[in-house]
Amino acid sequence: MRALVRSGDRFFHLAIAAIAALAFLELILPLASVVWVSFFENKIINFPPKGYTLDWYWNAWSMPRFRDGFLVSLQVGVAATLISMLVGVPAAIFLARTRFWGREVIQTVLLGPLIVPGIVAGSALFMFLIEFEVFTGVQVAQTFAGLCLGHSLIALPWTIRLVTASLVGMNQQLEEAASTMGARPFTVFRRVTLPAIRPGIIAGGLFAFVISFVDLEKSLFLVGPGTTTLPIAIVNYLEWSIDPTIAAVATVQIAAIALVMIITDRFFNLTRAF
Amino acid sequence: MNSSIAITLPPGRRAGRPLKIPFGALPVPGLLLVVFGLILPLLLMARYSVAIYNPADIIAEGLTLDNYLRFLSEPFYREVLARTVLVAALTTFFCLILGVPAAYVISRTRSPKLRTILILCSIIPLLMGNAVRVAGWMVLLADRGLVNETLMFLNIIDASVRIMYTLTAVLLSLVAVLLPFMIITLQSVFDRIDGSYEEAAATLGARPWTAFLKVFVPLAMPGIFSGGLLVFILSMNAYASPVLLGGPSFHMMAPMVYEQAIRVFNWPFAASLAFVLMLATLLLTVVSSVLLQKKYGRM
Repeated sequence: MRALVRSGDRFFHLAIAAIAALAFLELILPLASVVWVSFFENKIINFPPKGYTLDWYWNAWSMPRFRDGFLVSLQVGVAATLISMLVGVPAAIFLARTRFWGREVIQTVLLGPLIVPGIVAGSALFMFLIEFEVFTGVQVAQTFAGLCLGHSLIALPWTIRLVTASLVGMNQQLEEAASTMGARPFTVFRRVTLPAIRPGIIAGGLFAFVISFVDLEKSLFLVGPGTTTLPIAIVNYLEWSIDPTIAAVATVQIAAIALVMIITDRFFNLTRAF
Repeated sequence: MNSSIAITLPPGRRAGRPLKIPFGALPVPGLLLVVFGLILPLLLMARYSVAIYNPADIIAEGLTLDNYLRFLSEPFYREVLARTVLVAALTTFFCLILGVPAAYVISRTRSPKLRTILILCSIIPLLMGNAVRVAGWMVLLADRGLVNETLMFLNIIDASVRIMYTLTAVLLSLVAVLLPFMIITLQSVFDRIDGSYEEAAATLGARPWTAFLKVFVPLAMPGIFSGGLLVFILSMNAYASPVLLGGPSFHMMAPMVYEQAIRVFNWPFAASLAFVLMLATLLLTVVSSVLLQKKYGRM
């Protein structure tokens, strides 16, 4: 890199930097514009804007579909996080501490929800839940429970990945030392392992929440009357109109996720999550 | 800091019998969740895809290949699949064009601060969700959106230009939605390629372009391939961008699966569409890996 700078060499670095700038513009521009438009005074998008206002936020909050959507997404997010942690943390411990020959198979199955595309998995789950209802008379499809089931499923691979990462990263000699000194396995887990992987667990939970909160494809098949999530409410509205109100709703989602991300970053280096 | 938590536990708790969970049982709840939430539903869908469609009843009955044959025989559906593959291929191409330089800058910058900022710039949009990002593109590209309004304000155009409901709009939003996956995949691979290779090439007299294309890119090929594959698979299955930015007449596979399952309620056909989509994705994945392996060796 420190070789003689010839004109062609400079052009190379400029070209790379310019294309990279274009790439980041492509990523940031839609988010920045939706936030900007949400403050526009006019209902019809004008450039330059006539003035700025916060009215669209009140307008959005006064629409039941967005208020309810926000609350449903919040509740489903929390429920899905708890379920995926409850089943994901033990699975992560198993994956991180076993040399069992079937480990790879179990890991592939557990990460399966990440591999199967949302539309395919969503339509399959929808058919399964309706069929379940036909045979048992219990309605799960298009209820809150069904949403929680689907969302804990998509959150599961992320909790497993993040918790496994911290389990592999921790000093395992601490666990060995504790059991050598006579601690039972559960005591070792509660008093040695758990405190050591606590950042991973918190980050895994927050990540699971975000994955559930923003999910669109799978939720399409799981939402029903009275249980519509915020992303679905946004998409349904967008089919008919584009105005500062929907921009305000989108900005609220951006702010909510950004907040969770800032908290997550205190526990876990975000760049390691992928 | 954490030990205090354990000490403050009431002593009675410790006297109780500890839970005895066999180690092998630990992944069972998670496996059950995936089996009942994903694997059994997929098997049921496979069953539906070869069932005879009966509008009056949703129980899967009969055994037929009609659903797959219908897909193959009607030009409309073949066109939808062709459009889906085309959009996925174009999206992958543009993600590579934009993603390789972006990841290269992240991985080769000497400023740790810039590196962190750029990585966060790639990850944060990803976590904001598709609905919000599609909303952003609609605000930009609508007939009375920011792009048109700005161009009219600057007197570059007199009347608004139609960008929404075109292939361009779908591609713009799809590339933006999937670019983070590309950048993150590439960057982790680029980081593992030692800068000394490029320096060696430069010392031996190679110009930066030559060093980049002849030394760096071949070394990075496994990463470029897996990033491209990921983006291709995800764009084959895209829903929000084609529906909202492509409009009602821009048909792609994933929205059609949704329509057949939820609106038309023809489950056998919806199921066969879903499997055609998965098979097409799988097939193109295998073909491309074989072709690229021939060219670049094992990856």
